[in-house]
Amino acid sequence: MKKLTILFVLSLLSVSAFAEQREGEKTKGRLTGSFETNSIFYVEDAKSGAITPQDNFGSNNYLKLDYYHGKFSAGIQGEAYMPVLQGYPTDLTKVALTNYYAQWVDDSFSVTAGTFYEQFGSGLLFRAYEDRTLGMNNALTGARFTYNYKDIVALKAIWGMPRLGMKFTDTQVRGGDISFAISNLVGWKATHLAVEGSVINRYEAISADLKEEGGKPSSTGFSGRVNFEHKGFVVRGEYIDAGERHYPNGAYDGVNDPRIDLIKNGNAQLVELGYSGHGLGVNVTARRLEYMDMPTVYRNTSTANALNYIPALTAQYSYLLMNLNPYIVQPSTLLGSYIAPGEIGGQVDIYYNVARRTKLGGKRGMKLGLNYSTYWSLAADRSAKADNLLWQSINFTLEKQITRKFKLNFLYSFQEYNDSHGVNNYTWKTNIFVADMLYKWTPTLSTRLELQYLLSKDDDRDWMAALAEVNFAPHWSVYVSDMYNHGKTNLHYYNAGVSYTKSRTRIQLSYGRNRAGVVCSGGVCRNIPAYTGANLMITTSF
Amino acid sequence: MRLFKRLFMAVVAIAVSFTAAAQLPSVKLENRKGETVNTSSLVDGKTPMIISFWAVTCKPCIQELDAINDAMPDWLEEASFRVIAVSTDDSRFSAQARAWVEGHGWSDFTVLFDKNKEFMRAMNVSYTPQVFVVDKNGKVVYSHTGYTAGSEQELIDKIKSLK
Repeated sequence: MKKLTILFVLSLLSVSAFAEQREGEKTKGRLTGSFETNSIFYVEDAKSGAITPQDNFGSNNYLKLDYYHGKFSAGIQGEAYMPVLQGYPTDLTKVALTNYYAQWVDDSFSVTAGTFYEQFGSGLLFRAYEDRTLGMNNALTGARFTYNYKDIVALKAIWGMPRLGMKFTDTQVRGGDISFAISNLVGWKATHLAVEGSVINRYEAISADLKEEGGKPSSTGFSGRVNFEHKGFVVRGEYIDAGERHYPNGAYDGVNDPRIDLIKNGNAQLVELGYSGHGLGVNVTARRLEYMDMPTVYRNTSTANALNYIPALTAQYSYLLMNLNPYIVQPSTLLGSYIAPGEIGGQVDIYYNVARRTKLGGKRGMKLGLNYSTYWSLAADRSAKADNLLWQSINFTLEKQITRKFKLNFLYSFQEYNDSHGVNNYTWKTNIFVADMLYKWTPTLSTRLELQYLLSKDDDRDWMAALAEVNFAPHWSVYVSDMYNHGKTNLHYYNAGVSYTKSRTRIQLSYGRNRAGVVCSGGVCRNIPAYTGANLMITTSF
Repeated sequence: MRLFKRLFMAVVAIAVSFTAAAQLPSVKLENRKGETVNTSSLVDGKTPMIISFWAVTCKPCIQELDAINDAMPDWLEEASFRVIAVSTDDSRFSAQARAWVEGHGWSDFTVLFDKNKEFMRAMNVSYTPQVFVVDKNGKVVYSHTGYTAGSEQELIDKIKSLK
């Protein structure tokens, strides 16, 4: 495999070199890429309970290169963990060429050989993607073929072995996806209607015990979808039969419960209703999940061990205190003898743009937002009956340009969080208030101030936080922030940083104390330990 | 490790020696109706465009697009251009993003959805916000990452210089 990789890279470079020789001609192709480094120097901090790693250093680095020549493209990605930052999957180690591909994209078809990403439907059945915030990369190495017939039929076929950590696993994934745009076939102009379907087969060798218990190494999942849009109204539905799933039996004791593994069937239902028009955007989502985990490798506990994408369908916050206890999706909950097959719930989003020169909008208009979400654990297999409340939140936002120079954002959030993942029905309740004020002194000099307050009788009780930022556009930005728990621990989580941006390069240096908690990206979360230290982040692309 | 270092040096050298300006790659995205749109069809040979990669969870992205939206009536008096707002929200937020666009009054933008970040990867965007100015022939003539209030002025300056 290594030899193959080197061969591939050399051939890529020779193509590039050949292209270079023909400089000045249109046919020379082009090389584009990006580089990112994220390094932390950890310092000892007895107060926050931070654990410093050996050498007090961690660094995640990514180099990505793509070469385009007409319809042909090829690329590589190299990753270096020296060592991996704390809280990331620990199987990300050392240096490796992780991705390599060659691709031909024609008008009606495309062929990819090597590493590729793909998503079927909402991703609940299958999604291969990269999220560096999470240390997630489950790209497949293999082959992908796509075909389009006009704008009516779109077909995809894939085969490959998914990545986990620095290696591609022995698990085999093969599948197909079809989308059929009925409205384009019959020539409807104002309406879009498409029916879609996917199939995914996953093969992984299983243990003799699991075989004896009736488990199968191969499982096949299906998804059926409908997408409809007419004059701003949207209806989307997806049904998934995810096939056979295996779980370690937490209640196994060899006597009363002799089953080492549990064999289940995964399924999910997702409905989205939306309307947008006249300054009003409304979105309603409902979803039920039952045993929807789809690991790359069975019994591996890495947070990147997934072949599908199951986000928490709630509001995601960008303010410090609103993110203390984000909702973590429960595609199944097996804790010892406690089993909940999944979750059921939904959310509503309403956005309204109050027009300028109206009574409420005033001279500059106003933007309002409301979100409500609620999720419950499932009471039993093959049931939609709710058991315990897992999460509930109401969020209200108001954005108003008060004067030409001054803009105010106000946010209120009520959050109810079940710390036991539904094992019991006790919830933590918090009320959070945020004022975010931007003042533009000159066209290039601005200041931003965030004031936040959290009220709660649970967990660490009350918090307050503030952030001040000065921006010197277009290059410099400086900030200081502090998050202070005055309800219980009396700890300050201070932070200060500076960033410099020029064209496609951004350098950020910060220092601070960070709380142990959960980092979420795209609704998928990972736990991070407490740390204090200096963080250098550089991103560039060319 | 040594191989990686050598490789890195080699590709950087090659990258630097390449002078051809980046062109828009061909990637299939979804529009607000759910229809497929090929990014190569955005090049119309007539007007330049601002392509902004954003997400509902990215605060500076929203600030930048709001600033562009507010300045747009004045800017359009100075030059003709289009704004393509590419939502990089995955399926968790793409429905929310549709509602968001309406609630933020971004009616002058062409909003496209890049649910599995295919276009984002092809344009080598690591983090949002990242914004590109693309001329009428599809050539990328300017780009910046991150947003500090006021930096949107560079976009219209660049577009005006294309005349």
